[in-house]
Amino acid sequence: MASVTIRLPSALAVVMEGTLQFSIEAQTLRDALDEITRHHPKLALHLFNEEGIFRPHVLCFLNERNTRWLDDLDVPLNKGDTLRFMQAVSGG
Amino acid sequence: MSVIIIVGTAKGGFVFRSNDRRSWQIEGPFFKGWKITAVTRASDGTFLIGAASDVYGAAIHTSRDLKDWRQVPQGPAYPKESERELTQFWKLVAHDGVYYAGVSEAGLFRSEDHGESWQPLPGLNDHETRKAWVPGAGGLCAHSVLVDHANPKRLWCGISAVGVFRSDDGGATWHPKNDGVPVILEDKEFSEIGFCVHALAQDPDNADVIYRQDHRGMFRTKNGGDNWERIETGLPSGFGFPLVLDRGTKTLYAAPLESDEYRLPIEGKFQIFRSRNGGDAWEPLTNGLPQEHAYVSVLRGAMDADHLTPCGVYAGTTSGDVYISNNGGDDWSALPYRLPRVQCVAAFVEG
Repeated sequence: MASVTIRLPSALAVVMEGTLQFSIEAQTLRDALDEITRHHPKLALHLFNEEGIFRPHVLCFLNERNTRWLDDLDVPLNKGDTLRFMQAVSGG
Repeated sequence: MSVIIIVGTAKGGFVFRSNDRRSWQIEGPFFKGWKITAVTRASDGTFLIGAASDVYGAAIHTSRDLKDWRQVPQGPAYPKESERELTQFWKLVAHDGVYYAGVSEAGLFRSEDHGESWQPLPGLNDHETRKAWVPGAGGLCAHSVLVDHANPKRLWCGISAVGVFRSDDGGATWHPKNDGVPVILEDKEFSEIGFCVHALAQDPDNADVIYRQDHRGMFRTKNGGDNWERIETGLPSGFGFPLVLDRGTKTLYAAPLESDEYRLPIEGKFQIFRSRNGGDAWEPLTNGLPQEHAYVSVLRGAMDADHLTPCGVYAGTTSGDVYISNNGGDDWSALPYRLPRVQCVAAFVEG
């Protein structure tokens, strides 16, 4: 298990009652997302749609990598990794 | 005695407080960046709001003091297999500890534990006509919910471009109630739907009397929706969105617009209309409202009354103004603020 830092955009402060950073223990990226869903269901509602996949304008970066470009979510996590959620720059 | 107005906008919520309904103190924005689309207050004093984001979806939050907010843990949600998406809360209603939420995509949810968990009402959400429901310009939304206070098993729900449904058994089964209202979108299979209700207001002493701002005009029923009659004497147009009833005097307030094609104040005059006789006749209210080149409108949830004597009436506009009357609509003044597009307005009395 690796301790991973989760960082959230400020817009989600209202969901997390002010908390924008916390840590979870997970072995893979998939585990980490499952942990968020399990332990932070209120947050998960805003990250994932009814089908359980990322909402269209929610980005998730594993350190510097956009997780959408990964072939799958079974990516091992290392101690000190950061999962950063961001709002996609879109529209005009 | 003080009055609290909660103004939900496209970019957050604002609270206005006053002890005399003349000077107002503004607080906010709270939920900055979120659309605040529905507000109500339960009998225990808890406020509920519906907040939505185009990015992060929608949820219900509660607060006792309008400062500290908490998202409800098991809010309304569609199951994956429904293939529906919950995008916005259009109406929140609290009655004797039972809460209702009307949402888009159209559906109705209920909570019987003070909002902690919510269950869908499949008798409506999966109604036999559902496959023929078609969204209106505002989407497929369940925006109006009424509860018969004398018999809470009687419920009404208004869905744009579908119609009004009534349940007589506590929400188990629902029946379309639109006789007398012209259809806007006729379905080949289900002739009982395709009616575009915009707003409902109910007589507090006789739940059978309901007023209906519809896409096709202003209507009234005296038998719980079994039949509707047109009530437009004095209105310049039957088209509009908000409809508010003052519980004390049973005065109605509406904001008609020029046709569904234009959806603008008629001749650039921003007017609220009032009926003091149950919709039999309407009169324009103009004193203090802009009467030249005013091209703003009031969205369906953006007008409310405080039910005091005389009644306070509050209307938020698409250009972010909030107009207030503290004498039943005779005179109006604008708050000195320019807010984002106003989505909803709710007035509450304290003390």
